[in-house]
Amino acid sequence: MYAEHFSEPATSHVASAPIEHQFYPYASNGGTILAIAGADYALLAGDTRHITGYSINTRFRPSIHTLENLGGPERAIVVAANGFSADGDALVRRLAQRAEWYTYNHNKPLSVSACARLVQTMLYGKRTFPYYVHTIVAGLDESGRGEVYSFDPVGSYEREQCRAGGSAASLLMPFLDNQVNKKNQYDAATGLPQVATDLPLEETLKLVKDAFSSVTERHIHVGDYLEIKIVTKEGVKVEYFPLKRD
Amino acid sequence: MSDPSSINGGAIVAMVGKDCVAIACDMRLGMQALTVSNDFPKIYQYNNTFIGLAGLATDVLTLSEVFRYKVNMYNLREERDIEPETFANLVSSTLYEKRFGPYFVGPIVAGINSKTGKPYICGFDLIGCINFAKDFVVGGTTSHQLFGMCESLWEPDLEPEDLFETISQALMNAQDRDAMSGAGGLVYIITKDKIVKRLLKTRQD
Repeated sequence: MYAEHFSEPATSHVASAPIEHQFYPYASNGGTILAIAGADYALLAGDTRHITGYSINTRFRPSIHTLENLGGPERAIVVAANGFSADGDALVRRLAQRAEWYTYNHNKPLSVSACARLVQTMLYGKRTFPYYVHTIVAGLDESGRGEVYSFDPVGSYEREQCRAGGSAASLLMPFLDNQVNKKNQYDAATGLPQVATDLPLEETLKLVKDAFSSVTERHIHVGDYLEIKIVTKEGVKVEYFPLKRD
Repeated sequence: MSDPSSINGGAIVAMVGKDCVAIACDMRLGMQALTVSNDFPKIYQYNNTFIGLAGLATDVLTLSEVFRYKVNMYNLREERDIEPETFANLVSSTLYEKRFGPYFVGPIVAGINSKTGKPYICGFDLIGCINFAKDFVVGGTTSHQLFGMCESLWEPDLEPEDLFETISQALMNAQDRDAMSGAGGLVYIITKDKIVKRLLKTRQD
């Protein structure tokens, strides 16, 4: 903007380069999300800080969305699309609409696996102008077991026990491998690798809060508050946990 | 990926415990995605001080020889072993000497001061800026993953055996999430009167 004030008089503009304008349609809004599936619950957590560059736009912008009224409280699905939040919001709003239409058209609740396939087609539908997001969908399957699905920006997806997404995913993911899936841990007596078992909800909550508190220390995009949504057969419970604000 | 500091890959980490320190590294040497060797340790010992060198492998080897030469000269001149604090300053000035054509490395120094018995660790950037840390330092292409692991696993005043477990788990789980490092691990546990070196057998992919 200062160039205008200090540029040469108009007469010398003849040979100068033409002024270029461009629009970049994407931004990054930081934040991190994390999902873990258990035997009778699924949990999706994320911090509430919303940023652009080094500025904090707000300290409290909850980003875990709930798809309800799919047929009873146990059928609730939680979704988060982290990255460029305008795209994330657009995706989640359209997904909520499509989930509602599904119940009208088929007269049955939308399962989490069907929701995941729907998210894939919606993401791939914008293959040439992608939603700039890392998406995670979580809920309970027909038997009441927790399930987590994670997606890349163009719809490639996988069902997993746990997954971290967003700015600090690289800090969280190895910790999850180690503590949830027991990677690189061996049984002292037999010397065999430890097998991953479903963690009780209380233990998972402790793990998630510890993980986010640690990541907050080392990543400037993460902080302020942690929002945790837990899907059980009773429905969706929400919990907030304060994180450091610096 | 033509960035010199991430061509060969590597992970290094050091931690402080109760009257002990630990330093660990991975064993991979690669050329971009191709693994060339699974027997490429990145930790060097000079007297009772250790340095982990992650970065461009040619600079890792060059610097390891430069430091060997300089520490030998120090030993002859001073007729005593070099202390970790002194060595850290030697590393810093050696790197800053090449301020405008740097070695592409991110070193970490660990040791115990033979006079005071105090554990010492620190890290550097490629031009020698020292990062004094009370808890842990990380380096290499795996630094993000190592930060996540160390920040959640490390606690104050770990005994040598617990420190070994902590640093090993931090290293192994971090390097498993980085394609540029892995292929084994090497851990040194340093106490005032004993140095224990252990090789970690890990997945090779």
